[in-house]
Amino acid sequence: MGAINGVTIAIVLFGIGLLGLILRRDLVIKLLALGLVNGSTILCLVSLNARVDGVAPIVHSQASAPYVDPLPHALVLSAIVINFAILALALVFVMLLVERYHTTDSQRIEHEIEGERIP
Amino acid sequence: MRRSSLYMIITASVLVICFCALLMMIFDYHGAREEAGAAYIERGAIDTGAANLVSAIYLNYRLFDTLFELLVFSVAVLGVRFYLAEQRGSEEEVARIPESQVIRTAADLLFPPILLLGIYLVLFGHLSPGGGFGGGTVAGTGLLLCAVALGADVVARRFHEAALERFEWEILLAILLLVLIPVLLGRLPFTDLLPRGRLGSLASGGSILIYNALIGIKVFIGTWVVIYSFVRHRGEI
Repeated sequence: MGAINGVTIAIVLFGIGLLGLILRRDLVIKLLALGLVNGSTILCLVSLNARVDGVAPIVHSQASAPYVDPLPHALVLSAIVINFAILALALVFVMLLVERYHTTDSQRIEHEIEGERIP
Repeated sequence: MRRSSLYMIITASVLVICFCALLMMIFDYHGAREEAGAAYIERGAIDTGAANLVSAIYLNYRLFDTLFELLVFSVAVLGVRFYLAEQRGSEEEVARIPESQVIRTAADLLFPPILLLGIYLVLFGHLSPGGGFGGGTVAGTGLLLCAVALGADVVARRFHEAALERFEWEILLAILLLVLIPVLLGRLPFTDLLPRGRLGSLASGGSILIYNALIGIKVFIGTWVVIYSFVRHRGEI
């Protein structure tokens, strides 16, 4: 295994997603960055147990190579479903915010909320 | 203001880069270990009767895990429906996409194979890649194609929404009962309602087929409810 494998790529993607989550002000782009973080987690889990010569863990009589560990695949399924749930709910909240403040800019929304509160 | 935001960008970048470097140092990764997952690979097919070891794990060994995953999914669907039903639709009508013959023909041609693929993925989830979550999503996306072609309201009128909603919760109740009643009695969840059968045949894998079918229908309805909530809130697709 060289320096570039699934795990290091996953960590780099995780960093990009985290930076997007912190620095971008647009709420929809923040959600996209959250999706990137989730994708990098999935990539990390799957590639932790990937083998060059391994075959998918589906038992059949003439398997030519060792099966890969099925446990990370089962865990990734939970991650995917929960990512779907988070994205759907978060999009709903973004839609409600947009209807009220007519912008997806998080800082502008914060300013408007502060402006509402002061008087 | 400008200086402070620049300062924040630099700080955040440095922190994230340091964090990633730390992660890379911790993950001293040299490929998969040879013995990883050996117990599941050796015993999985014998214990559960399912050829697909991944579904053997998430619908037999770790059924409890999957139950709560399904609960998270249900809560998300409930949340989407609740928050989007609160204030129905904006006043300004969103213009309909003009009906296109290409899309209608494509939807007519593609919808049956997509539905068939979804059903196949659900029913053969214990033998090949697939399963309830994937199959349900595929079939639900087929409905999205229909909604694009015919208009969401036309598709929604064909389902009775109240009945659909009730059906969804009945399925969740069925899964909960199947898993939790034996637990209350101090036994393991029903993982062997059906015979384990011959490895690789359709009627194998114990209860995995039942759970896959229930989860598939649940996810199918849930996907459609999410899509339809968004569409109805917006006015038109």
